[in-house]
Amino acid sequence: MTPPESSARAEPRLERKQVVAGARSLILVGNPNVGKSVVFGALTGKYVTVSNYPGTTVEVTRGSATLRGEPWHVMDTPGTNNLLPMSEDEQVTRDILLVERGCVCLQVCDAKNLRRGLLLSAQLAEAQVPFLLALNMADEAATRGIRIDAERLSRELGVDVVPTVAVQRVGLAAVADRIAKARPSGFLPRYDEAIEEALGDILPLMPSRAGLGRRALAIMALVGDESLRAHLAASLTEADLARIDAVRRRVAARYPESLRFVIARQRLVAVDRLHDAVVSRGGVSGAGRLGRQLGAWSTHPVLGVPVLAAVLFACYEFVGVFGAKTAVDFLENEVFYRRLVPWLDALVRWAVPAGRIQEFLVGPAGVPFREHAGFLVGKYGLFSMGLSYGMAIVLPIVATFFVAFSVLEDSGYLPRLAVMVNRVFKRMGLNGKAVLPMVLGLGCDTMATMTARIMETRKERIIVTLLLALGVPCSAQLAVIFAMLAGVSPGAAAWFGVSILAVLFVVGWLAARVIPGRGSDFMLELPPLRVPQAGNVAVKTLARIEWYLREALPLFLLGTLILWGLDRVHGLDLLERAAAPVVVGWLDLPKEAASAFILGFLRRDYAAAGLFAHYEPFMKAGTMTREMNIEVTVALVTVTLFIPCIANFFMILKERGWKTGAAIAAFILPFSVGAGALVNALMRHLY
Amino acid sequence: MPAIVARQERCPLCGMEFDAEGQGCRPSCPLARGCRVICCPGCGYSYPQETGLAGKLRGLLERRRARGEGSR
Repeated sequence: MTPPESSARAEPRLERKQVVAGARSLILVGNPNVGKSVVFGALTGKYVTVSNYPGTTVEVTRGSATLRGEPWHVMDTPGTNNLLPMSEDEQVTRDILLVERGCVCLQVCDAKNLRRGLLLSAQLAEAQVPFLLALNMADEAATRGIRIDAERLSRELGVDVVPTVAVQRVGLAAVADRIAKARPSGFLPRYDEAIEEALGDILPLMPSRAGLGRRALAIMALVGDESLRAHLAASLTEADLARIDAVRRRVAARYPESLRFVIARQRLVAVDRLHDAVVSRGGVSGAGRLGRQLGAWSTHPVLGVPVLAAVLFACYEFVGVFGAKTAVDFLENEVFYRRLVPWLDALVRWAVPAGRIQEFLVGPAGVPFREHAGFLVGKYGLFSMGLSYGMAIVLPIVATFFVAFSVLEDSGYLPRLAVMVNRVFKRMGLNGKAVLPMVLGLGCDTMATMTARIMETRKERIIVTLLLALGVPCSAQLAVIFAMLAGVSPGAAAWFGVSILAVLFVVGWLAARVIPGRGSDFMLELPPLRVPQAGNVAVKTLARIEWYLREALPLFLLGTLILWGLDRVHGLDLLERAAAPVVVGWLDLPKEAASAFILGFLRRDYAAAGLFAHYEPFMKAGTMTREMNIEVTVALVTVTLFIPCIANFFMILKERGWKTGAAIAAFILPFSVGAGALVNALMRHLY
Repeated sequence: MPAIVARQERCPLCGMEFDAEGQGCRPSCPLARGCRVICCPGCGYSYPQETGLAGKLRGLLERRRARGEGSR
């Protein structure tokens, strides 16, 4: 990378703290978290005003600066990744550029993340806004071995490019020097023939006196940017607007994806070419090239599927076979039941004199613990059941899953998986914007429910919340599902997968019909694939295990306490008898499954762990019968679709209100049982 | 309230760098107290913050890496 021109100490003082009526406007734009506000503070000093942009709750900061003797009015805009707005923040930035005329932009970009910055530069170029590019955090980029040829980038873009370290005020004097010389960039990505032809049709209709160039306006109009419509309506006739709509419909019909996505993808290709020409990293090896190739395959619509299948198979083998069989067997039988449980039993009998208290804690002497109701060691003992579920059954399974997940995260495959899942969900009929919470739900449904806020209408938010609560298993539950599926026949595992996908497809299809049509794509920056670092994987896994132990273990103990209490007052029998018509009659499951379902409300993986513990001896011995394969599949389908865990349920109540939350629960309960009963009936005939 | 440490975080999904303060679990979740899960303001991806033992391990690994680079 070209080094910044001078050190912080040698930097001449910027003339600041002068509130003057600026003759020209300087607008700071940039992606979120690139140090824009630091640059703004350095240019303007203390005297700034912060106010909401008219008609929004988005704050815009304004100030004044005298740069090289000239007065400037400076505005700091909300961080944006796109001039085709996908959020209120982005719309405010776009509107400022649209309304301000004769302004100059200072684009601040993160030098560590140049690709993201160049995507915005390309749009500023299309908008024909005069700008200057500050490659901020240049020192951090250099530390990471990222070298940017700023001179070549400047030549390719046709604008000045200045490396900066804003927090140390390095490079800001050079920025101040060159702002007055800012000019529009000639870097204009070319789109495919159909899009260029459509742009050619629309371009002459675009107003020429807007702050943004006509090509940028034509692109916004072509993708159907609703937020632009009011601006266009002010200067175009109804006939012109109808013509634009007709062109848009004609071009949109040529692509399976939205035009917004198609244009962003084609623009990214041009940006990637520029990025690769100006950025080099220390020693790109053959492995690096292979990683790049694999990265490209992993998001390819066809080649991505076998890559995804291979990744899922590796996770299944690691979690389902190693985690659920080898690790669980060792921890549950060797560590817990052969050593820890007898040790605790002996310790309590040694410490507590024989009598009612001893019997209460560890049951009568000489009776196997699964045949008495001891509080610590017993059939529903806090230690022998609660801790063994949490530590010996679920922990090894989720720990192996967390290792696999951390490997995916650190390798850079996770964003690609999100892209692939996005594609699959979209094919299933799910509305574009609804996809993001669904993908995130695979991590934690509770947080994903909160993400449903991104949906625009209440109806959309309710549908997404319902889909999340209904059919998306969280990471911990997914781990136990992997473990259970590894113990059943491949056919039964396929029945489970097809059943859940069918439910998601049908409900998603209905949702797509109910949710109004405009889908918005979510855009992720795809880092290069790399070999996961063992240290990173260890830290990420440990962080997740710590989180699991803090969150799940107390609930496992609470669930066991409830079971123990119910058992003492014979409530379990009552419960099982009450649920028998459904659990035994409809689902053909053992009556004990009723308690697993009910306590699954505390945590879904608790329910799955109960089922796993029930069938584990048969899975291990390889004596699973056809009947058992059906039972496990039906139980897994029902538990996966069952009412969400307590944390998610409270989040639903908070986000959607009591009435909606209760209505969602009232729908899910019979639906999950009904789906389980249907799978049971079908499997008994077809499996 | 969430036990989030205010510091710069990098989202493992979208790569966005953000201040973790205020990005923790929301109080509407009954488990928010002491929860270390943070939510990326860019893409919404949630993951547990590397604090506690994981934070100590990260510190140890970084010190070792720094020593290794210093001795070269």
